[in-house]
Amino acid sequence: MLKMQHLSKVYRTHMVETHALRDFSIHVRDGEFVAVTGPSGSGKTTFLNIAGLLEEFTSGEFWLDGVDVRGLGDDARSKLRNEKIGFIFQGFNLIPDLNLFDNVDVPLRYRGFNAAERKKRIEESLSRVGLSSRMKHYPSELSGGQQQRVAIARALAGSPRLLMADEPTGNLDSLMARGVMELLEEINRQGTTIIMVTHDPELAARAQRNVHVMDGQVTDFDAEPSLRVKTRDADVETAAA
Amino acid sequence: MEFRPILSALMRSKVAMILIGLQVALTLAIMCNALFIINQRLERMHRPSGMNETDTFIVGSYGFGSGFNVQTTVDADLAMLRNLPGVVDVAMTNGMVPMGQSGWGSGVGLQPNQKQATARTAYYMVDDHAINAYGLKLVAGRNFKPEEISFMTMNNRKTSPVAIITQALALKLFPDGNAIGKQIYDENEPFTIIGVVDALEKPWVDAEDVEYSVMWPTHLAYGNGSTYLIRAEPGRRDEVMKVVEAKLGESNQSRIVRSMRSIEKVRAQAYANDRAMAIILGSVIAALLTITALGIVGMASFWVAQRTKQIGTRRALGATRGSILRYFQTENFVITTCGLLLGGLLTYALSLWLLTHVDGAKLLPWYYVPIGFACLWLLGQLAVLGPATRASRVPPAVATRSV
Repeated sequence: MLKMQHLSKVYRTHMVETHALRDFSIHVRDGEFVAVTGPSGSGKTTFLNIAGLLEEFTSGEFWLDGVDVRGLGDDARSKLRNEKIGFIFQGFNLIPDLNLFDNVDVPLRYRGFNAAERKKRIEESLSRVGLSSRMKHYPSELSGGQQQRVAIARALAGSPRLLMADEPTGNLDSLMARGVMELLEEINRQGTTIIMVTHDPELAARAQRNVHVMDGQVTDFDAEPSLRVKTRDADVETAAA
Repeated sequence: MEFRPILSALMRSKVAMILIGLQVALTLAIMCNALFIINQRLERMHRPSGMNETDTFIVGSYGFGSGFNVQTTVDADLAMLRNLPGVVDVAMTNGMVPMGQSGWGSGVGLQPNQKQATARTAYYMVDDHAINAYGLKLVAGRNFKPEEISFMTMNNRKTSPVAIITQALALKLFPDGNAIGKQIYDENEPFTIIGVVDALEKPWVDAEDVEYSVMWPTHLAYGNGSTYLIRAEPGRRDEVMKVVEAKLGESNQSRIVRSMRSIEKVRAQAYANDRAMAIILGSVIAALLTITALGIVGMASFWVAQRTKQIGTRRALGATRGSILRYFQTENFVITTCGLLLGGLLTYALSLWLLTHVDGAKLLPWYYVPIGFACLWLLGQLAVLGPATRASRVPPAVATRSV
């Protein structure tokens, strides 16, 4: 689903060069639920941004669902992002002036679906997160957990192959967090690949595989038997094979 | 297009939408009516007078000596002036030129002593050189003959019973189209129409039926004053003016030469107020458009700054730069259109108010409104382009930033 090989990301200012990711390699297979953990400043968010095509990388190789991402223009990246990836953000990132229906509709409009198709998908995805009765409500009328469910519905509406979740429970209390995690697990069980960035070890433990990032490099990865290999590069090669 | 979600989002933050919408509405109402007034003024300012204005000028002479004889002076002046190099022709007039703002006028009728004149006209008292000197075009009949020119004084008011009229007046008096040989009356005095000229405006630019003029074959010398209309060869007017002034002064020491003006200057003076009005209203329109554009730029810039995270989120969800640009352009289009719909009503309300409160005002022609719509739509799109372009450059990674 997602394969990065010897990838690096350098932020340059006129004074300093910051290596956010260096020699970063990872392979996420179809249907996996991978948790990416690491302390603040370790490069988790940079990985998420690059993996989600929100940011470009400096060097290395990156395939997303078989597409070589290198050299893609901004519009092509937007299209690929819209078709392949659903996003769940820590702060929900719902548009406050749009009701739930219109919020979920946002990525579908960019996809170019017709009105009937969009309506069907919106209703289905809101129903999937248990909010079909509140389509005309605005985000401010919902609890944090409900808002995150709307964000999940928005992410799912376009039937993405990959769900990128950035601290999806970071702004929720434990009860709501549990609900959201159960929802993500259910989505994963139905076949959607999930990459979740978190610093919460408890949440990470619920993923199939953990990837630990430190100083812009993968320093450890979970010993899930079917995926486990001895080195990072070997991991990529084995998976690619 | 995202009309519905944009409109529904705007309805949640009505204040800015209402303020900009009102600004657009007021701008449309004032702009359309001001443009109409400007166009009316410009149309008036560029109305053809019927005469050659480029090569002509008038000059007055006023005798003051006790032995001054106006008739012999006029005869001598005309003979001298007509023979000056660079002069095409000279006519004596009763001081009247189109746009001169002073002159003679009355009504003519089709019957003697009509209670109400058939047409209010200007009276040009001129000689047989007038058609050539004024540069008029004789479209029917003939010119005056030299023997038809009388010399009118306080004691002798008799004039030959013939007249040349303008085509517009001919049509007014004789709608069947043939005025030559017909009689018209100045009170109970009959005159036979011997010629029709294409056009010769009245001297008063504000007059009704400004194209109704009559030419009588008369040298008018009330008192010791006389006025000459001189036509120079093309490109020699200013040179001839200097020579004429000097020659008139030299030829008779018992008079003063005065009021020499080119007809171009006469036109400029006659329409000075119209020009000033057009400039003032044009400035008001420019100021209003600038303020409206700045309002749109300010509002759009504020919204872009306020919605940076939202823009990043949209980008993350698949919006291209073009989609973001179009979003802000569409949003501006929606706001502007709401303002314009209200503005259309305000425009006609203002036009009706002007119609009832301002003399000479006319109802705004309908096509000003769609032209105004197009101008303000274009202005809105241009004004929002800068902020919208900035918005389109917001990177999608903003969506994952916590601040």
